[in-house]
Amino acid sequence: MKQAVEIAAAVRSGQTSAMAVLEQCLAGLAAESGRLVAVTRILADRAWSEAAAVDAVIAAGRDPGPLAGVPYGVKDLFDVRGLPTTAGSSLYADAPPALADADAINRLNAAGAVLVATLNMDEFAYGFATINARHGTTRNPHDLDRLAGGSSGGSAAVVAAGLLPFSLGSDTNGSIRIPASLTGIYGIKPTHGALPMGGVFPFADSFDDIGLFTLSMADMQCLWQVLGGADAQASDPVRVARLGGRFRDNVDPEQIAAMDAIAPDGPLIELPDIARARSAAFLITAAEGGKLHREALSRDAMAFDPATRDRLIAGVLLPDPLYDAAQAFRADYKQRIVAIMADHDVLLAPATPCVAPLIADPRILIDGALSAARTDLGIHSQPISFTGLPSLSVPLRRPGCFPLGLQLIGKAGSEATLFRFAAMLEDKGLTGVTSPTGAYQGDAL
Amino acid sequence: MVRLSKPSFSPDFFLLCLIATVVGASFIPARGVAVPWVETVADLAIALLFFLHGAKLSRTAILQGAGNWRLHVYVLASTYILFPAIGLAMIALFRSIADGLLLTGLLYLTLLPSTVQSSIAFTAIAGGNVAAAVCSASLSNLIGIILTPLLVGLLMAVDGESSALSWRSVQVIALQLLVPFLVGHMLRPWIGTFIERHKRLLMPIDRGSILLVVYSAFSAAVAGGIWSQVGIVDLSLLLLLSLMMLMIVMGANVGLARLVGLPRADMIVLLFCGSKKSLVSGVPMAGAVFPAAQVGIIILPLMIFHQIQLFLCAALANRFAREGATPQRPQLPRTAAEIEVAAQKLGLTIAKPCMAGVTANLLLLDRHADTLFATGKP
Repeated sequence: MKQAVEIAAAVRSGQTSAMAVLEQCLAGLAAESGRLVAVTRILADRAWSEAAAVDAVIAAGRDPGPLAGVPYGVKDLFDVRGLPTTAGSSLYADAPPALADADAINRLNAAGAVLVATLNMDEFAYGFATINARHGTTRNPHDLDRLAGGSSGGSAAVVAAGLLPFSLGSDTNGSIRIPASLTGIYGIKPTHGALPMGGVFPFADSFDDIGLFTLSMADMQCLWQVLGGADAQASDPVRVARLGGRFRDNVDPEQIAAMDAIAPDGPLIELPDIARARSAAFLITAAEGGKLHREALSRDAMAFDPATRDRLIAGVLLPDPLYDAAQAFRADYKQRIVAIMADHDVLLAPATPCVAPLIADPRILIDGALSAARTDLGIHSQPISFTGLPSLSVPLRRPGCFPLGLQLIGKAGSEATLFRFAAMLEDKGLTGVTSPTGAYQGDAL
Repeated sequence: MVRLSKPSFSPDFFLLCLIATVVGASFIPARGVAVPWVETVADLAIALLFFLHGAKLSRTAILQGAGNWRLHVYVLASTYILFPAIGLAMIALFRSIADGLLLTGLLYLTLLPSTVQSSIAFTAIAGGNVAAAVCSASLSNLIGIILTPLLVGLLMAVDGESSALSWRSVQVIALQLLVPFLVGHMLRPWIGTFIERHKRLLMPIDRGSILLVVYSAFSAAVAGGIWSQVGIVDLSLLLLLSLMMLMIVMGANVGLARLVGLPRADMIVLLFCGSKKSLVSGVPMAGAVFPAAQVGIIILPLMIFHQIQLFLCAALANRFAREGATPQRPQLPRTAAEIEVAAQKLGLTIAKPCMAGVTANLLLLDRHADTLFATGKP
């Protein structure tokens, strides 16, 4: 699959048409998406209509926008006009259809993009594995026996497999950065609240954000503009530091080597109380998730995905004072982090503690003991969500190996600096997407 | 590790000694041939005091806490910009109703460095950033050795002269304050450990020196007729102005902390280090800078302010300690019976197939609650 900016350029110049791009894209999805268990609904009728509209605009001599004819998909928790928003749950399979598209979809379509699919996820976004009772477990395009990560696993898998040039996901505690790392593509969790959340099924308000999966930094920057992300001036020069302490435990040696190679002179700094931050994030997420679904749980708990259900019930049962204590810690912690970030522009950290775990044994080693990937793949991303800072997962370039990512963490509102630094790493060949063996090679151009 | 005694609202022993010294000097002042002897001993005591200051000051402590430089800038700004500005404003406002020398004393106290020991102790009690407090208070004292006399020279006029800082004062400051301080500090590698170990033994020297200076100063002041010059109305006004000054500084510091988003622990440092004035530095420095006959009346506001700051800060530190006290760790339901009871209260029924999963997830959340409450307060 070509990059989004390349497809748009070809469509805008008349080299190809949006309909031709879509035809190729739908063929790819039909042929490949089944084995990935990544797609929940193909929106062919809507996509044909949108592609035709783009071609009509071009035929009329007007510009359909910077994403002219670019196909994309969204995680199954974005409102899509005329369809129930299921959030990956059979509980909402027959919910009343959404009356309008989510705000982010509106912005993408206004720029000429064509929505073609909704994508698999952990039920209610509660998990890091995309193990879904209704739709199945999403497979990693680099090895179908491995997890793609989650909860936005479907969104990551289709992009990594070359079936779509980009997709939308959501990230509460790592749900974009983890699948991006495990499938070897770019994924951004923006500054908390930076991108429009209208029409997105919530999970835990304190940390919920939408974000993007892309194949290149050029696409990331283009899409960021379209979605209306902040356009602040990038820092120059960029002061880079490496995160130490817990961020150097439970990590692949290649991630450490990469961080040291990227910033050999960057100071090694430790964020304070990182284990407490992760635990507070865990408790807040459980409490807010439980509260959101409490009524449905009391009505029909057995209709939930069993793995999600029991976690949500446990969240409902958390005492309020514990939630309050975690929020009080968070308020103080965020201010402490702002003070630390004052002297740095980019912090480097691993995105996941390891490569994609096997589906047959979805456990990972944390502190020498095996624990559930579903809950613990977020060990390095969850504390960053806790701070509300933006974090971009970039894929290390390591052909022939399973993908692994690093987080580039910036100050609030400093996505432009992260993008600039990531683009520089991409140019140097330190990071970049490696297509999985046997990736879909269809080419509409 | 800072060892703390429980903050108290009752006047401490040292304050009682100070009052006794002032009363003693009022009734039995040094007279005649005793005067030059008392003054010489007091001068030597001042030099000894600053020698000990120098030996006690840890550059390592300053360097270790120096990373939080914005906080130290705020503390120094409070001590050396905000306080003097308030002092000058008060002089302008109350010149017509208060004794001129008392107001001079009020301005003098605003130019002094922060306290070291009590700033750190109150910060620790309140749950603040002790490392930063050690650095901030030490830095304030180090800078004060030079800056306070300079500010005195710049802002104060005494005894009809255009500036309090005459050439004689500069010489006295250099000989009595700066040289002993530097010598003490240079000898710190050899005597620092001894001084740290024998703090209790050295305290009488420390405090005795201050009492001696106070006795000498008030002897001269009594001879100059201090108690016919200063009445109960003046003392009440001083009390009120000191309180006002402290409230304004503390309010401004809390406001600034909120404005710039300081963490609670650093806000406490700014509040306590930025609002203190050092009696231990101020009394001997006044002895060195001002004419003997005026020292008594000039340090009177400082002595009053000193006690007010101790009362107020003790109350605030206790309040912060209560607010920030580790809340009791809320208990999660763990057994099936506890889970069912908790669920029933919320109108939930836990179906049998869910119980094992719910129990396992609550155990996981319980471990995270343990981590959250693992050290200090959450």
